[in-house]
Parts: sequence; C-alpha cells; structure tokens
Amino acid sequence: MIAVLIEHREAQIKDISFEMLTLAHQIANTQKQEVSCIILSDKCQPFADAVKNYCHNIICVENDLLNNFNNQIYLPILEKIITETKPTLTMIGHTGFGTDLAPYLSTKLSMPLLTDIFDVELSPDRLLIRRQMYGGKITAEIISKKLPAMVTVRTGSFEKILTSSSAIKGLNANITNVSFDIDQSILEKSKFLEYGEVPTTGIDITKSDVLVAVGRGIKEQKNLAVIEKFAEDIGGTLACTRPIIDAGWLPKDRQVGSSGKTVKPKVYIALGISGAFQHISGMKSAETIIAVNKDAEAPIFSVAHFGVVGDLLKIVPMLANRIKELKG
Amino acid sequence: MDIIVCLKMVPDTSETEVRVDSTGKNILKVRLINTTNEADNYALETALLLKEKHGGTVTLISLGAQNVDEVLKMGLAKGADRAIRLTDGLFETGDAWTRTYALYQAISKNKFDLILTGCIASDDGNSQIGPSLAALLNIPSAAYVTKVEMLDNTKAKIDRELEGGILERKEISLPAVLTIQTGINTPRYPSIIGIKRAGSKPLDVFDAAKLNIDPKIIESLTELQQMYNPKVEAKAQFISGSDDEISEKLATLIREKAGL
Amino acid sequence: MGIITITKEIRDAIIELGGTDAYKCYQCGMCTALCPWFQVEKVSFLVNRIPHNVKLGNVMASEDKKVIEKEVEELFRCVGCDNCLEYCPRGVNIGDIVRAIRRILIDYEALPKTLKDITTKIYSSGNPQGDSADKRNNWAKKLNVPLYSPELEYAYFPCCIPAYDAQVKRVAESTTKILKATNSLFGVVKDDVWCCCEAIRNFGAEKIFQEIAKNNISALDKAKVKKMIVTSPHCYTTYKNEYPELGSTIEIIHTTQIFAQLITNRKLKPTKPVVKKVVYHDPCTLGRQNNIYDEPRSVLKSIPGLELVEFENFNRKDSMCCGAGSGGLWLDWQKGERMSDIRVKQAVDTGADILAVACPYCLIMFEDSVKTMNLNLEVKDISEILAESI
Ligand SMILES: Cc1cc2nc3c(=O)[nH]c(=O)nc-3n(C[C@H](O)[C@H](O)[C@H](O)COP(=O)(O)OP(=O)(O)OC[C@H]3O[C@@H](n4cnc5c(N)ncnc54)[C@H](O)[C@@H]3O)c2cc1C
Ligand code: SF4
Ligand code: SF4
Repeated sequence: MIAVLIEHREAQIKDISFEMLTLAHQIANTQKQEVSCIILSDKCQPFADAVKNYCHNIICVENDLLNNFNNQIYLPILEKIITETKPTLTMIGHTGFGTDLAPYLSTKLSMPLLTDIFDVELSPDRLLIRRQMYGGKITAEIISKKLPAMVTVRTGSFEKILTSSSAIKGLNANITNVSFDIDQSILEKSKFLEYGEVPTTGIDITKSDVLVAVGRGIKEQKNLAVIEKFAEDIGGTLACTRPIIDAGWLPKDRQVGSSGKTVKPKVYIALGISGAFQHISGMKSAETIIAVNKDAEAPIFSVAHFGVVGDLLKIVPMLANRIKELKG
Repeated sequence: MDIIVCLKMVPDTSETEVRVDSTGKNILKVRLINTTNEADNYALETALLLKEKHGGTVTLISLGAQNVDEVLKMGLAKGADRAIRLTDGLFETGDAWTRTYALYQAISKNKFDLILTGCIASDDGNSQIGPSLAALLNIPSAAYVTKVEMLDNTKAKIDRELEGGILERKEISLPAVLTIQTGINTPRYPSIIGIKRAGSKPLDVFDAAKLNIDPKIIESLTELQQMYNPKVEAKAQFISGSDDEISEKLATLIREKAGL
Repeated sequence: MGIITITKEIRDAIIELGGTDAYKCYQCGMCTALCPWFQVEKVSFLVNRIPHNVKLGNVMASEDKKVIEKEVEELFRCVGCDNCLEYCPRGVNIGDIVRAIRRILIDYEALPKTLKDITTKIYSSGNPQGDSADKRNNWAKKLNVPLYSPELEYAYFPCCIPAYDAQVKRVAESTTKILKATNSLFGVVKDDVWCCCEAIRNFGAEKIFQEIAKNNISALDKAKVKKMIVTSPHCYTTYKNEYPELGSTIEIIHTTQIFAQLITNRKLKPTKPVVKKVVYHDPCTLGRQNNIYDEPRSVLKSIPGLELVEFENFNRKDSMCCGAGSGGLWLDWQKGERMSDIRVKQAVDTGADILAVACPYCLIMFEDSVKTMNLNLEVKDISEILAESI
C-alpha cells in the first residue's frame, strides 16, 4: 500500500495532494499496490469526496482539534495509523506542513526519510528517488536501505490527477473512520494560534516562484501600474534593476543583481532590461528566463531562454489580456 | 536561557558551477570555499539576539573534521560562549539520520532551553535534522520559523512560513527545536575584539567512542547512488510574429512555466 | 568613559598584517580632505581617524552589532585610489593599513556579501562574473585571434571584464582591430591564466590572491610569455608591482603604451577624423600608481580632428577615482553617494562630447552614471576612439 497524507488548509484541499496521487498511482501500478489517502480534519467528508475516485482506501480521523494543522497533534495519530496499516511508502508534501512533520514522524517510526523528491522508482525490495542538491545544480539518485520508507514530494513536480486517467477508472474508495483520543495536554506543548499574512513591506523576492522584473525600458513611472497588475495576474512579484530603485519607483528590496538580491525563480520575465553583468549575476540561475527588449543585441538575450524583440509597452498590455482570457 | 545552535560547514556553491567527481557520488570539492550554511547563520543570530535580550548562554555544535573549527570560531567571535565539535569517520560517511543521532547524543548531555538550526542546508537540501532531533529528544519542534518571541521562561510565540505569503502563528513550550528561515534577521559581523577573544573560549571535540555511540545504531538508512548535473535548456529561442501572435505565444509559455 | 585605553591585541594584529604606517601619521588631516569621499556631500569619511584608531587598537573593538555594521561599511569605503598617499606629508599608505584590517575581517566573513560572492566566483572559475573558465577566450575565437605561442612577440590579456561582459567586450575587439592593423604579432593568453586578483587583494582576500597569482605566473611561464599587453591598468599595476615578489619576470605593457609606441614608430597612423571634444580621465592605477600620464594623451592627440581637453583641477595626479577600486565595482553605494556621478558631472562641465577612459572599471562606472543621470556624454575607451580613426 502507498499512503498519501492529504494536505488542506482553511477547508481547502491543497494541489500537492492531487500531485502526490498522480505519483502514487504511477508507483502503485507497477507494483500492483493499492493507494490509500489519510485525512486528518475536523470535517473529513469534503476531502474524502474530493479524493475518493482517485484511491482505493481512505482513512479518516475526525476531531475538532484537527481543524488546523499542528505537527504535535498529527504525530501520535499518524504514528498509530502507519504502524497499523504498514504502507510500503508514505507520501507527504514537501510544504510548510510536510517539512514540519515528516522528519519528526519518520524518526519516531525509525523509518528512512527522503525529502523534497521529484521522482520515485519502487520495486519490491528497493526504493530509488531523485532529488536536487546544491541549490538545484546537482541531481542525486538516492536509495532507501530499507522499506517501508517515507518521502516528501516537491510541489509542482507532478500533474494533478485527473478522473480521465485510465489507471484509476472506476475507483470508489472504501472509507474507514478511525477514532483517536487526542491528549489535550499536547496543546500545552504546541498550540495553533492563527494564520497571518507576510507583511507586504517584507516582500522577499527571493522566495517568489515568478518574478516580473522591469528595467529602464519601462520609461516612466506610470507604466509600472500595468506591469504590476500583470505580475499579480500571473501570481508573480515585481522586481527591477538598480536604475528603477534610483528613480525611487520601487523600494530597494526589489533590486535584483550583484548589489541587490540573487534570485532563482521558476520564471523570470525581464522587461526592458539590458542585461548588465551586475544584473545578470543576480538572476541567471532562474529556471526559465523570458526577456522582452526592443534591442535584438541586448546582452540579456545571452542568458534568456526565450526572447522577444519588441516594444514592451505594446506587448505587455496585450499579453495581460491574453493571460486573463486563458484564466477564463 | 541556554541555547544550542547547530552549525554546518558547507561549500559555498551559490555563485559557482558544481561538478561531480570521478566516483559520481560526490561533488568536486576543489576550488570551493567553505562557509557557514546560510540558514544556520540566521539561527545563530536569532540565538545571539535572544541572549542579548534574556541573558543566558549560547553553545555551538557542529559535525566534521578540524576545518569545521573555522565555522565554530566565527560563531564564538560573534558572541557564542562555547563550542562542541563532533568528529568521527562514522559521522562523516553517514546520512541525515547518522548526523542527527550523533547530535542527539551530544546535546542530550547538556542543559538547554532552546535548540536552533537552519531550516535547510544549502548542500544536501534535506531540511531534516531539526525536527528529527526534536523527535529523539522528545520535545516539540517547529520548522521554517520567521519570528520568535519569548512569552515567559517556558513558552515562545513563533511564526512559521507557509506557502503563498501565509504565516502560521503558534505557541510552543520550551525546551523545543526551531529551524530558522533565512531573512528572519540580519546576521551580524564579528568584531575584531570578538575574533581575538574567540581563541580562548572552550571548544570541545568528541568522537563516537567518547559519546558512547554504538556504530550499529548510526548506520545510514539511505545511500547515495549517483549524482549528475541536470541538463540545461539551450539559450534564447526567439519568439516572433505580430505583436498579437507574440503575446499569444508568450501567454501560453508563461502559463506552462509558471504553472498557472 | 573619557579615558582612552589601548586595545593591544587589535593594534598588534593590524600592525602585523601590514599596518605599520599608522605610526607615521601625525594627524594633519590632509588625507581626509583629499579623499574623493570628501567631495560626496552625503558621506563623512574621516580618513585620518584610521591610523589614529589603529594606534589605539580601536578598530572594530565594540561588541555592539550596529556599531560594527557601520564600521564595516566604513572600512570598505576606501577604494585604494592613493590620492591621500600622493599628498600625505608623512607618506602614510592608508591603502596598506586598510588592507591589513580587511585581511583580519575576511577570514571571519566580516565583509559585504557582494564582495564575499566575488571572492567565491574568482576562486572557483577565475573571473568575477562567475562564468566558466573555459569561456574566457570565446570573444577571441570569434575574431580569429590565435592563442599565444612563443614565436609571437606579444601575449594579450584583456582583463576578465572585456573577456566576459557583452557590454565591455568592445574594448578587446577594438584593441584587436588596432593590433591587427599594424601587423603586430600577438596572441591571446590561454584560459588557464585567470583574474589578476588585484581587487580581491585590496579588499583583503590575501590567501586567494596568493594562490591564483602563483598559478597565473606558472601558467604564463609554461606558455613562455615574455611580453604581455593588458587592457586593464589593474592588471598592469598588479603584474608590474606585485607579481615580481612572487617570481614573475614578464614585461608588462598597457594598451595605451603600445598604441603610443606604434604611433611614434609610424607603424600606426590614425587617419579618419574624429571631430569631437574629448576629455581624458586618468585611472588611479595607471596615473598615480604608475606615472603613465602622457601616452594616453599622445594617442588621443594623434587622432585628426580630435580636440583634447582637461578636467579642471582634477587631472593627472589629482585625478578623481571612479569609485570602482578595491571592490567598489561591486559595492553599491546609494544614489547621491557615488564618486562616478561627480566625475561625469566634471566631464560634462569641460564641454566634452566624449569621456575617454583607459580602464574597463572606469568604463562601467561612468557609463552607468551617464545612464542614470541622463547626461549627454559618451564614454569610450581610448582603444575604441583610436580604432574608429584607422
Ligand atoms: C557598483 C554597481 C553595482 C550595481 N549593481 C546593480 C544591481 O545589483 N542590479 C542591477 O540591476 N544593476 C546594478 N548596477 C547597474 C548596472 O550597471 C546597469 O546600469 C543596470 O542594470 C541597467 O539597468 P536597465 O537594464 O534597467 O537599464 P538599461 O541598461 O538602460 O537598459 C534598458 C533596456 O531597455 C530596452 N528598452 C527601452 N525601451 C524599450 C521598450 N519600449 N520595449 C522594450 N525594451 C526597451 C533597451 O533596449 C535597453 O536594453 C550596478 C552598477 C554599479 C556601478
Ligand atoms: S595626511 Fe598622512 S599624516 Fe596627515 S592625517 Fe592623513 S595619514 Fe596622517
Ligand atoms: S586611498 Fe583613496 S579612497 Fe582610500 S582613503 Fe586614500 S584617498 Fe580615500
């Protein structure tokens, strides 16, 4: 059995849950194993409904104290479930929740843990995973010396599972409700208070997956608004070159480059940036770099993966509309 | 308040190419400069700020050969009180489990209210040791901490970073393990007076025998098979057409790459 | 309070690493007044406090985080321009004192992050850009410049910045054009010769400087290089004045020297007029540090149509630093705190169309200032202007 811990926050199931289910089925198919979901919540039903066509079994633990994630409360429950059901592999998201929980849990269970993985190969007696090291500059293949084992799965590494997938056609999971008496004294050790928002002044461009960076090519401060809106629409954060800071159009913490921040987002969109070395040194490790510049010779194209030679002031508004259409 | 900070020495690869050596199981260590793991520096600063505010001591602990003393001495120069280095061939060939267990054995012989580690090591990227250590010590833990505020001698209020600009705020009782996220503070520079005094602060070295560690217990649970450089995309592919076509192609591309 | 005590351990450590000049200082304050920072209104950089504080051992002696942070910022302000040395009545080399202090700090990573990163990049790949070592000569391959071999007269080393940076490689290209036009026999040095490490030595990375400098010397030795032409006066001063201590014997020639020589020998005759008013900026490393003032000017004067003007007051040995020395190229001072902004204003005041430079660092600093200040001024390397004229 492959177990997947369903992740949810404020009544929303998280995408990573569906991504892990895709991976779980990939493995389960070759191994003729079953996939089980574990749901811990104050209301399990909606989550069970969301995943019941994508797995063979669902184990639900319902308790008011499980309305919000709390690693210390999750621990004894998962320890018990895993010890009793003995999954070959347990999957947890490599997320704010997963990283807070998995190492603790695996240690309690004396189980090997492989974190932040993006690929798995499982055979009856062997687990091999792939993960990145050295900030993504190296890919490593690591085996677990024993089974059962646990992994935390990198977000966005797998497609979300779809009903149409032939592998899982006709699934309708058995639901098992497990009751568990939570020892109230745990709250003394670790108590959830609330969710908060990261203060906007403290925006950290190094932590954003998508950056929309502007340079002097935007010409005037008033053009910033369109681009800011566009960044927001694609779930990105605004960054810039030093002259934009000098002009006082954006605060210093948005500067990318040798004397600003070094960033490594999934996508870096460089708009009207020439590509001075001080700038490039701060962004060249981005996974995908898209540059728009009216000068075909601009050095930024030497590090970009995709380039557009053209006027950003014309292209960006049109692009923003397209994105809106795509998002429907 | 007595605080223990785990520091790791790592090769600074943030600005360099990383190549694999001939065994295929390690990176080529030549021409790399060793440094304190970035997140650990923030953990150390958190400890020093807490000490300035609430008094107490800061003890540093690290694993590795003698060159790791550089990292420990830097921590001492910044204001930590003493340092411990665990060294043994067994530790060095081990995995996260091995290292956690060694740290556990050393730490459990000390008095402490708080253990701080970095949230991630820039070399292996495991994010494991802090919470695993807490499990062995049977105390609560919190990962990716971005704020620490003492409520009293036995309780702290903390923020943890989640995805999408959201924080989880919670109360945790001490002793506890917190893994500290980068950016929580601004790590200080050591002063020259600190550097000069670091030499006379205690730095103790222990091996597996001295810690009474049974080699069987610390055997790795995982094994690295091979390493390689992921292949990189070819350079600039130009997207052309009318402005309208360009924006359409770009939109599709962004949707795919940004995972909208 | 009020009583000054001497912190001997700090004083002794700095003296030992090369700060002995501190004892010569008699606190006249000339250095503070002559330091280019004195012209930057926002900044108060009291240079004469440095030798004074070294004598007292009062350098980074506090344990207060904020105080230390400020002190580190101060200690990395000195760009090593030697303007103070030129006029100090006691011959105090502030650059040496500051370098000694930085050498203590760097082992403990007490330096701005950008400088730490530059050190790592140079150590691992041999250039401050952190690009692969084997891409160093890509620019030369495109222009069919051969690798240096002993039957060629000169080896050419363009400095890491023109070699790797798309915006500055034009300097290496125009130098190549000129050398080819005169049938000079030259080849580019192999990519196992790395950054000269002048900058990182000045900001304290002594061990890395030593290691790479020795590698460079033996690589040049192996390639049997006898005479080497360099574009950067930073390479020039390092190879000329510092590498010999480590065993280097090669003859080093700055591009402006070889250009001037070719023109004097009539091997090169600039013919196409460049009808422009040009002001020449003396780089610290070429002028004050090596007394090369005339060759660059004679090259410019030989160009028909070109009118050469001088900076008012701040020319030749009084030239004002662009701000890039000792790591300044990578340190980002806030707008309003940049020496290069002041210098380009001075250039505009001369009425010049072109600010001519003889150093890739100056080129970058001034181009950046001209851009951010929206000035009507071109910044060009002498090689570019000369190449236009042939
Ligand atoms: C010590 C020092 C440290 C520095 N540190 C940094 C740093 O950390 N980060 C940093 O970014 N810079 C830094 N710089 C500045 C750097 O040298 C460059 O000046 C800067 O990066 C250039 O910014 P830019 O690309 O926005 O402007 P420019 O170089 O002026 O480029 C503007 C670009 O926009 C294009 N463009 C114009 N109009 C349009 C249009 N309508 N549509 C599309 N494209 C258009 C142009 O073709 C041009 O390529 C530093 C400089 C110094 C001296
Ligand atoms: S000019 Fe020389 S003698 Fe005068 S204060 Fe400066 S260093 Fe001292
Ligand atoms: S060397 Fe130049 S920058 Fe340094 S103190 Fe002297 S005048 Fe100032």
